[in-house]
Amino acid sequence: MHAARNIALCTKDCVCLFVCPTGATDTENGQIDFSKCLSGCRLCVDACPSHAIYLVSSNYPKPQKKETEVKDSLFDLAASKVKQESMAKALASESDDPVFRQLCKSVAMSNHIMAEDCYREAGYILPQSDAVRSLLKDLLAKEEGKADFPADAVRKLLEKL
Amino acid sequence: MLRRLRVEDDMREMTHGELAAMCTNLQKACSKQLRSEEAQLFGLLAAFYEEGREKQEGCGYQDLLDTINEDLASGYQRANAVACKNQDRGSLRALVWGEKVSKLLKSLLVRYEKQKNSLLDGTNVYVCEICGFVYVGEQPPAICPICKVPSFKIQAVQKEAI
Repeated sequence: MHAARNIALCTKDCVCLFVCPTGATDTENGQIDFSKCLSGCRLCVDACPSHAIYLVSSNYPKPQKKETEVKDSLFDLAASKVKQESMAKALASESDDPVFRQLCKSVAMSNHIMAEDCYREAGYILPQSDAVRSLLKDLLAKEEGKADFPADAVRKLLEKL
Repeated sequence: MLRRLRVEDDMREMTHGELAAMCTNLQKACSKQLRSEEAQLFGLLAAFYEEGREKQEGCGYQDLLDTINEDLASGYQRANAVACKNQDRGSLRALVWGEKVSKLLKSLLVRYEKQKNSLLDGTNVYVCEICGFVYVGEQPPAICPICKVPSFKIQAVQKEAI
């Protein structure tokens, strides 16, 4: 568990520089140096007067079980949203009217976000979960060797998650 | 026909378009945890599936409206019933947002049919990055009326010529 800074809240009080035992808060990029941060130390979190520092978990609890019928109905809805996204993209690409394209682009974006949210609630909210691991393994088994499939990226994800 | 992949324990089949949305969801989840390398890797995977997205060439405006109407008439009802039965708070939350956003999308598309470009001329279009709420107007609302996220998460969509 390491500390992280929300730049939007930080008012440069710099108390974190004063309390940090390792200098992890003293960086040029405004973020905390995670490699120097002591797990669970949280001195900076408690000291920050603007509540701009928080702890990022490294071990999340197991996600709650998703019932198959719930998952199925969310996957069905997501499929419909993805179809609408593709339809809106097709309508945009077949039109040369910038206003109509703007409308279609917005509809496509909106549907993409709704599809993502369906997957999130269908059991894919945390990347470090069994559901995601088994999805990645499955994709690797099926797509390995196909042109342009980023197999190395999938292997790296399986290693890191 | 759509190219489909059988995926995961219950062997659900997913299209490339569906996998693109799945992967951008996981990309965002990694970014939230400040895991920028993992986020970038999911981004690569999402781009691969986006490239292979099943095209809906030749579909009409009415086809799009029909699909939204289908969701509103049956998709949300079905999903709400099972989420309710299983007391799945998270799913019920997503369904409430999604149904509201879909109703507003439908009304936007119906209004556009009547008013054509005059609906969007001289004003802006915004999309909430969190729930997908589409807003037409000068300035985005201070908080999203659907999911209540502050306006810095509500993005303007530009008018672009080809």
